[in-house]
Amino acid sequence: METAIETQNLKKYFGDIHAVDGIDLKIPKGSLFGVLGPNGAGKTTTIRMLSTILHPTSGDAKVLGFDITKEASEIKRRIGLCPQELVIYPRLTARENIHLIAQMHGMAKKDYKERTDDLLGKMNLLDRANSLVKGFSGGMKRRVNVLMAVVHEPELLFFDEPTAGLDPQSRRVVWDFIRDFQERECTIILTTHNMEEADDLSDELVIIDHGKIITQGTPDELKGKLGEGDILEFKIEEIDQRDEIINRAKTLDFVRWGKPVGKHRIVLNALDGLRRVSEIMDVVKVKMEDISVRKNTLEDVFIDLTGRRLRD
Amino acid sequence: MELKKEPKVTKQLWYLTIKNFKSMIRELSQLIWIFGYPLVFILLMRFAYGLETYNIFAPGIIILAPIVLISQLAGHFADEKESGTLQRLITTPVSRQTILLSGLFSQLIVAAIQIVIMLLLTFLFGASFHPNANIFLLFFIPFLVAFTSLGFGLLLASFVKTASSAGGLAWFIILPLQFLGGLLTVPIIGFIPTSLAAEAMGAVMIYGSTAFVPVGLNLIWIAVWGVGLTVLGILLFQRKTAIL
Repeated sequence: METAIETQNLKKYFGDIHAVDGIDLKIPKGSLFGVLGPNGAGKTTTIRMLSTILHPTSGDAKVLGFDITKEASEIKRRIGLCPQELVIYPRLTARENIHLIAQMHGMAKKDYKERTDDLLGKMNLLDRANSLVKGFSGGMKRRVNVLMAVVHEPELLFFDEPTAGLDPQSRRVVWDFIRDFQERECTIILTTHNMEEADDLSDELVIIDHGKIITQGTPDELKGKLGEGDILEFKIEEIDQRDEIINRAKTLDFVRWGKPVGKHRIVLNALDGLRRVSEIMDVVKVKMEDISVRKNTLEDVFIDLTGRRLRD
Repeated sequence: MELKKEPKVTKQLWYLTIKNFKSMIRELSQLIWIFGYPLVFILLMRFAYGLETYNIFAPGIIILAPIVLISQLAGHFADEKESGTLQRLITTPVSRQTILLSGLFSQLIVAAIQIVIMLLLTFLFGASFHPNANIFLLFFIPFLVAFTSLGFGLLLASFVKTASSAGGLAWFIILPLQFLGGLLTVPIIGFIPTSLAAEAMGAVMIYGSTAFVPVGLNLIWIAVWGVGLTVLGILLFQRKTAIL
């Protein structure tokens, strides 16, 4: 299988801050690869290095076969970047913003005009195509932000938190759009701290924390590592008894593992957890403020590996 | 996927210049600043001080107009840096030099329009032009000042991080150029672009002169200032926005 991105011990330091601390990646062409991690984990810095905006402190990286430091111009002709921030020209129209990126890539006028209209239609923006972007809602601006990254039909697309701050409806529109784009043999790198987004869209993903990869696999593989049980999450008042409560719960043979999360929460993995909540409560003997039962998520994978939530 | 042809630099430059120009003329506050600031001085000199004083200072007021472009250009690039659009452009196959030149070109287009309007307004409000005043020089002298102002703007853009700080700090360049150059008073320093331009403009406008001294020689020195500042500005700006 051909490789779209390959990195070896990629590092980026800002003084004492190790933003990216030795990342090894091998991403196959045509895949939708997720990079999941909390804010400040190093996702955006990694993307910025791979898209040639930042030079690495050390390590090697090749994007579509080109070295990121020596062959940046070749990479720029082949990639699209949708940044996390809304990077658009407010005093240009939606159509003009998208045209500008196509023009910088040297697309023929006829081609980019047709394609822009097609893209605006897909994002439900055609009726506002000639309006200045400064009057748009946050969701509409974010959709223009996405379209500017894809208008020139890049071989490789970086989506850096593409749905941050979007309402659920707009998020669905963007997700459908990303899926549609993947079907055109495009490799997509998606960074997110939204576990649902990573789970739903990624073929394969890495979870990174403090600049390092802490695990890698398909969403099902990663969730499978936690076992087949349900996740029970409790909110408790007795902070100092957290470990004791977890140990008491573990005496039950169907409780596979337990971890404290933050100051007031405990997460347990229990087989058939939904039906056996009352048994657990009998054993732990503690006043619970609330309780929820759900299937494994990628957030639970992160909790299992770090003891923290993605949004902590 | 099929790789598109290598984009042409001239086309990129054209599209970016148009983009910058559109962004500028669609912002009312910028239009008021570009045209309103010099207009205030025309009205002030003409109606508060009378026609005689107005006639003496009219050449300086015309030179005053393109100086406001210092804050315009610095603000433009600071805004591109602050909003991330500069970085977004840098991820496309466009060079930093093209981006810089497009910023300069769009401001020069504004300067050309501004100078024509200022010349017309100065005339309409009663300034006396010598019958032999060379129209090309009346346009070209302030245009060369505009070019020099863009050099100052580029230098400023290298240091500032936000458009608002660019707007504020620009005054530390605009006011000395305005007052030391004698645009509205007696010139204090003779060898700065504004005093050189005011002297040349006065010679052309009031006396109808086209002589090498002071017109031609002053134009050469203003051009030297402009080229020097612009080259320095480009080098510094590229260094400050280089990938780290």
